[in-house]
Amino acid sequence: MWIYEKRLQYPVNINRPNPKLAKLIISQYGGPHGEIGASLRYLSQRYSMPYPELAAILTDVGTEELAHLEMVGSIIYQLTKNLTQKDIKEQGFDAYFIDHTTGVYPVAASGAPFNADMFAVTGDAIADLNEDLAAEQKARLSYDNILRFCDDPDVKDPIRFLREREIVHYQRFGEGLRLLTDKLDSKNFYAFNPSFDKPKK
Amino acid sequence: MSEQIIMKRKIEAMKFAAWELHLFLDSHPSNMEAYRKLKEYEDNIKKLMMEYEKKYGKLFPTSKDSSRYEWISSPWPWETEEMTHVDL
Repeated sequence: MWIYEKRLQYPVNINRPNPKLAKLIISQYGGPHGEIGASLRYLSQRYSMPYPELAAILTDVGTEELAHLEMVGSIIYQLTKNLTQKDIKEQGFDAYFIDHTTGVYPVAASGAPFNADMFAVTGDAIADLNEDLAAEQKARLSYDNILRFCDDPDVKDPIRFLREREIVHYQRFGEGLRLLTDKLDSKNFYAFNPSFDKPKK
Repeated sequence: MSEQIIMKRKIEAMKFAAWELHLFLDSHPSNMEAYRKLKEYEDNIKKLMMEYEKKYGKLFPTSKDSSRYEWISSPWPWETEEMTHVDL
């Protein structure tokens, strides 16, 4: 179960609307490397983890991703406040506006709505943790790409925070994977999890 | 930035540091130094929150200690601080 705290993990205070930028940043809300996919990935993968440390990492990181989803949602909300019809049209926000007005909907920057095809739950701890390491790098590079198109310091600041968190999560998943491979049979140097394939006695 | 916001930020920074240690302990459960640091930060958070609440009232409206009305009427986190802190 979860308890909601009525606050953001890191403050977001944007006073200059910028729908063009919102259209790019929304990818981290519902895009292929976005926060909702990250959270669902980790919270769904944790059931098949063979060691309690791994379940703990996935639960905590999956929970933190929900806090990041809320931060990205707040960024989109604040970037699209008090828009004029001219802003919407000139900044290319019109296509989004037709379907969602200024509501915050999980889509990629390309316009494709969120889809669970964006992540995997394999039931194999080694496959899942390797996917998680890649996912953190992909989210990190998406934030790097967003920063290339950002010139408002009020937007850059929380985006930098989110980028740094991807690096920390990558580190924790790396430790999780090492913990898992350390417990494998030492002869198993190709690192796979043979426990499912053992004949039941 | 008002003194109230500065104090709130300080508490939130402490909470973040405590969270980071909690996450670190997931993969290093026997690291006593990190554990001690976490307890130290948690004590600090408690102290700072008491200090804040004495001065400004409840920091986070929870269903346990505040009325349902406060939970609804206190500002939502996606509003900017300029809007959020006008009438506190």
